[in-house]
Amino acid sequence: MSRSVWKGPFVDSYVLKKAEVSLEGGRNEVIKIWSRRSTILPQFVGLTFGVYNGRKHIPVMISEDMIGQKFGEYSPTRTYYGHGADKKAKRK
Amino acid sequence: MARIAGVNIPTNKRVPIALTYITGIGSTSAVEICEAVKIDQARRVNELSDSEVLAVREYIDANLSVEGDLRREVQMNIKRLMDLGCYRGLRHRRNLPVRGQRTHTNARTRKGPARAIAGKKK
Repeated sequence: MSRSVWKGPFVDSYVLKKAEVSLEGGRNEVIKIWSRRSTILPQFVGLTFGVYNGRKHIPVMISEDMIGQKFGEYSPTRTYYGHGADKKAKRK
Repeated sequence: MARIAGVNIPTNKRVPIALTYITGIGSTSAVEICEAVKIDQARRVNELSDSEVLAVREYIDANLSVEGDLRREVQMNIKRLMDLGCYRGLRHRRNLPVRGQRTHTNARTRKGPARAIAGKKK
């Protein structure tokens, strides 16, 4: 079920604060955030966020298409290199 | 034979059934069309007059996206997700289930036929 409209989009307050600061002042540095659950708002377009994936901050340049989705969607948390060839099978 | 929405030639079936042969028209929208252009749902396609067929054609053109246009639209939506680099896009790129289904077992629709794993037998 989707979120009630009357609540408005969810954004952690510190994300908003950091975004405002960087919008006013020296732009174009990566804003490190840990809040993967926050919604991407229209005023974030053009900013670059470093979204934490549990190990490091993945830089995400926000474009218009991303509005309404969550930051976490752009910072994959799993590494998967595929299954290596089985060593036992090779020896045969 | 009646040509509606490009290449589709539904047969001598009842109109709402025949319309579902068009990609993008299911039974709901087929019934809707019949009501909009006032065709009795018990009638068959070969009983329709030319003007009625025309009316159906016009209604579809005006209100629905079907066939190639619809397919293109869906492809564009998927491509948009893939270009964004979001999680859903990644899943599309890998041909894995997009909506959080399990992949430990099953998910064969997306993954295709099972591939044998070398050296797995006892």
